Amino acid sequence: MKNSLQNALCALDALERNARAESPMHRLDARAKLLATTVYLVTMLSVPLPQLSEILLYALFPMATATLGGMRLGPLLRRSLAVLPFVALIGIFNLLYDRTPALRIGTLTVTEGGIEFAAILLRGILSMAALLVLIGTTGFYALCRALQQSGIPRFLTVQLLFVYRYLRVLLEEALAMSRACDARSFGRKHPALRVWGTLVGQLLLRTFDRAEQIHRAMLARGFTGRIPDCTAGKPRWRRADTAFLTGWSLALIAARWSYPVETLTRLFR
Amino acid sequence: MSHHYLQFDRVGYRYPGGREALRDVSLRITHGEKVALVGANGTGKSTLLLLAAGLLLPTEGEVSVGGIGLTPRTLPIVRQTVGLVFQNPDHQLFMPTVEEDVAFGPANMGLTPEEIEARVTAALESVGALHLRKESPCRLSGGQKRSAAIATVLAMEPSVLVLDEPTSDLDPRARRQTLELLKRFSHTMLAATHDMEMARELCPRMIVLRDGEIAADGAAETLFRDTDLLDACGLEPPCRMR
Repeated sequence: MKNSLQNALCALDALERNARAESPMHRLDARAKLLATTVYLVTMLSVPLPQLSEILLYALFPMATATLGGMRLGPLLRRSLAVLPFVALIGIFNLLYDRTPALRIGTLTVTEGGIEFAAILLRGILSMAALLVLIGTTGFYALCRALQQSGIPRFLTVQLLFVYRYLRVLLEEALAMSRACDARSFGRKHPALRVWGTLVGQLLLRTFDRAEQIHRAMLARGFTGRIPDCTAGKPRWRRADTAFLTGWSLALIAARWSYPVETLTRLFR
Repeated sequence: MSHHYLQFDRVGYRYPGGREALRDVSLRITHGEKVALVGANGTGKSTLLLLAAGLLLPTEGEVSVGGIGLTPRTLPIVRQTVGLVFQNPDHQLFMPTVEEDVAFGPANMGLTPEEIEARVTAALESVGALHLRKESPCRLSGGQKRSAAIATVLAMEPSVLVLDEPTSDLDPRARRQTLELLKRFSHTMLAATHDMEMARELCPRMIVLRDGEIAADGAAETLFRDTDLLDACGLEPPCRMR
């Protein structure tokens, strides 16, 4: 458990470190990236499930923006796979109930449910990848501020920011407790079951205490429930932001409307 | 020079669970004074600091800062006037970068981006941490975190600095650097500490707390010689005075 906690903390660190890098994507206004990602998610998620090849085309957006933002595609894909168990749980019913044969590859019959299951997995991975690129080239704080500026109610954006901040607190406290437990476990891999309850209870209490301290620190510096703009000196909305947003929005909407893969296949048949 | 000072009039504080942390505390700290707040663990030092910074409201008596009484309505102005440096810098630093953390207070004050930038630079410069501005607070050493935490408070240009154990958990060099840094400030200062050497070096005046009450208030040099008082309050004089 200790290693997975450490890995989760390192992943959070890496994401934040990446958000402080310099690249054309990083220089874009957070709102432009947020809106373009929203258009991406809406168009990609609205492609009908059987159109697997059309959905596959949408991989271009996270790939292009990640490359533009200096993010490596391998680790991005690995992290995006974390969403698989959750989407698999949603898609498994398509696989089980829709057994209409769709195509045959040799002796293997692929059902329509199977294609839909694959499409659901792909949608999940692509959505996750796009969000990781957005956070990795913007930073969670700037992202929450962009949400606030885009008219999302303040209580929601602040809650989102707190969840993210306290997730780190929770992980840090869990790691500290896990180390303290290991130090006196003398080689036992897992604490006894009855110790687990106490550990979880203590973890919640400690996290609550630390969260309260952080909240006090925010109040002491004038926090009133509104996310302030702490990015003094950074450029505001520029022509590049308009070009990025307009360009991607038009491309994504056109792709959604015209089914390019299907059209091209028909042309070359 | 403005006449900011901190005043407690018969202040008591009881936590929601019913535990009484402070009882009948009266004190006055005038402009530019540096005061050490000492006492054994659990005597109410941190509670007193939280009240001074407007993070708690007294359950009895009255707290005022620069003549402004502490009420729910005056909390924002009191919090701008009194800068609190937390005991654990990890509690104080919550933004992704040092720069953004230092900018958090000024941004909440509604300053323009140019003013925020100027304050961030000045605050980080004054604690010698300008080179850390793009760093993540999680990646800093204990001493660097402490400097960054002090900068977050200085950026709000408070009139009163309230410090909770400013030298705890620091190695000797980082402790010395923090001490030298604090000596340079002309702010009114109230520092809760167990570091008697620091109290002796930094603060001419000392307040001793015992069981939530003020046991003594006077010149630090004099109080350090009162071995009976120190003994009764679970304290020891600085090594150089033993």
